[in-house]
Amino acid sequence: MKRLNQLPTFRIQPGKELSINFGQKRCRGLEGDTIASALYANDVRIFGRSLKYHRPRGLYSLDGECSNTMMAVDGIPNVRAENTPAVDGMNVKAQNVFGKTPDFDMMRFMDELSWAMPAGFYYQTLHKPARIWPLAIKHIRKAAGLGILSPDFHLQGKFDEIYISTDVCVIGGGPAGMCAALSAADQGLRVVLLENRPWLGGYFEYRPREYQKGVPFYQRAWELAESVGQTPTIRTFKNTAMIGSYHNNLITAFQRGNKSDIFTERYLEIRARSVVVATGCIERPLLFENNERPGVMQIGCAHRLARTWGLLAGKRAAFSVGHDLGLEAAIDLADLGLDIACVADIRQDSYDSNLAAELEKRNVPFLPGWVAIRAHGSKTVNAVTLSSINATRQRKLSCDTVVASAGMTPVTGPVILPGGKLKYDNHTGFFLPDTIPPQMHVAGRLLGLNNPFAIETSGLLAGLKAAADCGKPVENKLKEIAENQATLPGPTRGTKLVTGPIKGKETFICFDEDCTLKNINQAMHRGFDVPELIKRFTSAGTGPGQGGIPGHNLPMYVAETGESPDRNPKPTTVRPPLVPVYLATYAGSNHDMSKRTPMHDSQVKAGGKMERIGVWNRARRFSSDTSARKEIENVRNNVGLLDGSTLGKFRIFGPDALKALQRVYVSDMSKVAKGKVKYSAMCNEDGCLMDDGIVVKIGENDYYMTASTGRAGQTIEWIRYHTRYDEWNFHMVNLTDAYGVINMAGPNSRKVLEKVTDADVSNEAFPFAGYREFLIQNVPVRAMRLGFVGELSYELHVHSSYMQSVWDLLEITGKEFGIQKFGLEAQNILRMEKGHVIIGSESEQRTTIHDLGLGFLWYRNKPEAKTVGAFALKDTEHQKGRLKLVGFKMKEPGTRVPKDGSPVVDSRIRGYVCTARYSWALKEPIGMALVDDDLCGEGTTLNIYEDACKGKLLSAKVVSIPFYDPDGKRMRC
Amino acid sequence: MTINLERRSPVKLKGQPVKTGIREGWQAVSGYARAGKGLHIVDLSHFSRWDIQDKRLGKIQPYGDMIPEKPGQIFMEPNLLIGRLNATQAVAWHFSELKPDMPQTQAFTDITNAAAALALTGPAVFDMAEKLCALDLADPLKTPPFLVQGPFSHVPCHLWVLDRTDSGGCLALTCSRGYAHDMVNSILEAGAEYNVEFAGENMFKEW
Repeated sequence: MKRLNQLPTFRIQPGKELSINFGQKRCRGLEGDTIASALYANDVRIFGRSLKYHRPRGLYSLDGECSNTMMAVDGIPNVRAENTPAVDGMNVKAQNVFGKTPDFDMMRFMDELSWAMPAGFYYQTLHKPARIWPLAIKHIRKAAGLGILSPDFHLQGKFDEIYISTDVCVIGGGPAGMCAALSAADQGLRVVLLENRPWLGGYFEYRPREYQKGVPFYQRAWELAESVGQTPTIRTFKNTAMIGSYHNNLITAFQRGNKSDIFTERYLEIRARSVVVATGCIERPLLFENNERPGVMQIGCAHRLARTWGLLAGKRAAFSVGHDLGLEAAIDLADLGLDIACVADIRQDSYDSNLAAELEKRNVPFLPGWVAIRAHGSKTVNAVTLSSINATRQRKLSCDTVVASAGMTPVTGPVILPGGKLKYDNHTGFFLPDTIPPQMHVAGRLLGLNNPFAIETSGLLAGLKAAADCGKPVENKLKEIAENQATLPGPTRGTKLVTGPIKGKETFICFDEDCTLKNINQAMHRGFDVPELIKRFTSAGTGPGQGGIPGHNLPMYVAETGESPDRNPKPTTVRPPLVPVYLATYAGSNHDMSKRTPMHDSQVKAGGKMERIGVWNRARRFSSDTSARKEIENVRNNVGLLDGSTLGKFRIFGPDALKALQRVYVSDMSKVAKGKVKYSAMCNEDGCLMDDGIVVKIGENDYYMTASTGRAGQTIEWIRYHTRYDEWNFHMVNLTDAYGVINMAGPNSRKVLEKVTDADVSNEAFPFAGYREFLIQNVPVRAMRLGFVGELSYELHVHSSYMQSVWDLLEITGKEFGIQKFGLEAQNILRMEKGHVIIGSESEQRTTIHDLGLGFLWYRNKPEAKTVGAFALKDTEHQKGRLKLVGFKMKEPGTRVPKDGSPVVDSRIRGYVCTARYSWALKEPIGMALVDDDLCGEGTTLNIYEDACKGKLLSAKVVSIPFYDPDGKRMRC
Repeated sequence: MTINLERRSPVKLKGQPVKTGIREGWQAVSGYARAGKGLHIVDLSHFSRWDIQDKRLGKIQPYGDMIPEKPGQIFMEPNLLIGRLNATQAVAWHFSELKPDMPQTQAFTDITNAAAALALTGPAVFDMAEKLCALDLADPLKTPPFLVQGPFSHVPCHLWVLDRTDSGGCLALTCSRGYAHDMVNSILEAGAEYNVEFAGENMFKEW
């Protein structure tokens, strides 16, 4: 297809060629082409097949308002060919085609079966007999949906995100939007301007008609765009589709990247103090038989195809329009060489007589009061039948293009989404914003304005109103502009005709869902009288284009033809995303933020198998042996080092610090003695265990406490929450990351410690449950004698920056004593042998400290109101029917270890296994379980069910815990 | 046995340091090779930071009279920043080469080790920050220096907006030490389009 000669409105670069592959066909295009324009230039008219009936579909709009031109591009389905720039070497494929090309589709017979698929087809048929449905659903699912995505497809590209804070966000870069942006920026405000197309200008941008004497519309668009570009406080995002609009002026959008951008697509989240919606209008489709046949297209499509991409829509075109833009396009296209068969105008009058005269000058027949009623041609259009509105006369014209449009419809999605309400306006025939959310303003054609000066002035006014929202003193200027606006023409009268005199069998109200007027009639016949319900029953408007094509016509048609006495059209809703967007774009760059201990790198280097536990990365073990046997045995026999830096650590101080501790811990915290550690637990109001840890006194009214790793993030808020009404004077500092923790455990641990410190760490000087502060070389250390793993052990809290050095020193020093690292798996088994619990492993939301055998921690003589959970602890202490923690061993020697979480059963579920492992110390499997209290007696048999056990239960018996060193001699030695 | 116990920053910048020195056990990098005039990321983790908490912050001695009155305000003088966090809490940040002695009153806690501290300087600082942070750091109603608390790359941070001009600015941030690696990575990734480079502490001090 030959392109037009250079026009000032071109967005293509004639010298720069590219090629794309469309099936077997190699299509040549130009830099600046979209996929759709490049294909059109290569005489491609059928872009794909429709969803249900496999009807041929072609170029209809140019802004991706329907699925007609959704194609598979480089393996990505449902790419909107109209908005996607053509890139050299791209592979483009038509969708929903059973056959080699969309011109020949083996499923086209579906079109003949449309009678068998009435509205609500899925709801009514294939359900009886019920056994058909599973079979039917498979085939329906196979046939339904648009595009095929391979399950292992990996989307290439870089997906970015940006969070913008601004004063004013203007949606729509047409004349009104640009004026609004300039007017707000003129007040010194920060403005964000979003435009879906790759350039600013809206419906001015491609029109050669005079804006004012000697200045065409496109030149005015350039002038405004230049002003916008020269205003540093306006940030313009082109190629950016707004997808969501929410309360408090949160706007979401996505930007398609071009060659110079570092991103493929970028998600934008904009918080503005005020929003201006200047999204303008799209065309309201004219409904007639075969109104979606390739060759039928909207006014803007035919006009922009020529003006922007240099392509005439066909050789001979018939126009059936309801707006002056149609007349204007016909004149311009006639001048550019398109043979115009006629221009039928729905309107009997109210058209621009100057334009009619221009048509006459060019010998183009102008037919006011006429409308297209049928497009002919099996694959593409070859003729059109026109009728007078009153159906008295008909005329058939041969043509390959039908330019059809019933009028305009405003793009109101951004107003509706945050709660704005629309109301039908009888003058314009539009659904106009009736209630607009606070700090949101509308401008431009969206209001029904058609006069260019009125459109621009409405933009200026909206920009000033937005400036007023931002606190700018603009009252006088607002008044002046409002007065000016009042002198300009207001909204113009719009057409209301949806369809000419037709039957509607092949008249498509929704292209995406293959929904015809006949389907709408069927729904109404079944009693549906509300557009919103008809939409659901017929699925009209539920496709990727949402309400773009049927959004206006459906309520108009229902109001006009329905039996409801209420003749006011009721608009249907839209939902975000207003425009289809990749999930990858929503995900953005997806920075995965996790924490590393000071030992991370060296643990990885030492072969540590790292796991993500909560926000932390931790070493599970240091060999491929999942049982961690060597690490366990080394702790039992020599000495091991565990990185416990993830432990929560806090300083709490101030005159009322003790009161706060008394409030949240169940024990009597006044008994925290200097030089000693106090182990205790925190419960919630239900007496259930939330956290445990130790508290040490480091000064007068000054404490250092630990929390479990998983709770560290909440501890400060927990204490604040439970003391919020007391006005106590105390303060907290989160030191979790400030200190690294080395857990040195094993019978040789004292020997190692003695070698690195001058402090006396003998059992007498530093006994079990003791706390000391000393130096390792010149590094201050907070040391505690604890026994979580059941051996002589020291918990050394070291400034994080020194952690690696101190660890290295201990490893070097401890070499002669067999020191080795151990990980979480070893720790888990070691502590289980000792019967120590881990919150979350041996407890759940309903587990109290009594259930775990930790009731001894609760100090009953504290006034109850002062301890969180004390009432519940009292109530549950002897409560029957609770799950209690027990230890168990397998009954039969050689039985394997049950899996964690396996249920304990008899005739019903009686509990579950918390943790079970093979004990290298005991040489047999052991475990802990939470079971019904009547199963707690020693020797009771527990039957354990596992997935896929095929009815063969594992048999265990309850035993006392601790399993290992029950007297605790080893950790106290 | 005695080995040299050195301190390690949580921030590992992969550039090539050209000027380094050991200070209080920390390796401080004054400059990196090839630090141009673009956007820079500087490790400030080795400078002393103190948490100050008291019911009557203004009366705390010393520093009380330097602590700003309102949350978000910063007191700034050469080698010292004091930011007010809330009614009872402030943070002091020292940039002198000689580590100052922390006052031995209960209100002070040394939190130098608790955080990774970074500075971002140069052009496009706030454009880059916008990719990681939904907070309005470029709010014209706020004049630098000011302090904002909130998420930066999803992680709770203290964000110290120290300078903001048409050509760029200086943003210092602190986050939990454990996040240092991922925080630096996310900044490098977000800053790639602005050619982010590593720089030594001089770049921050000279800003």
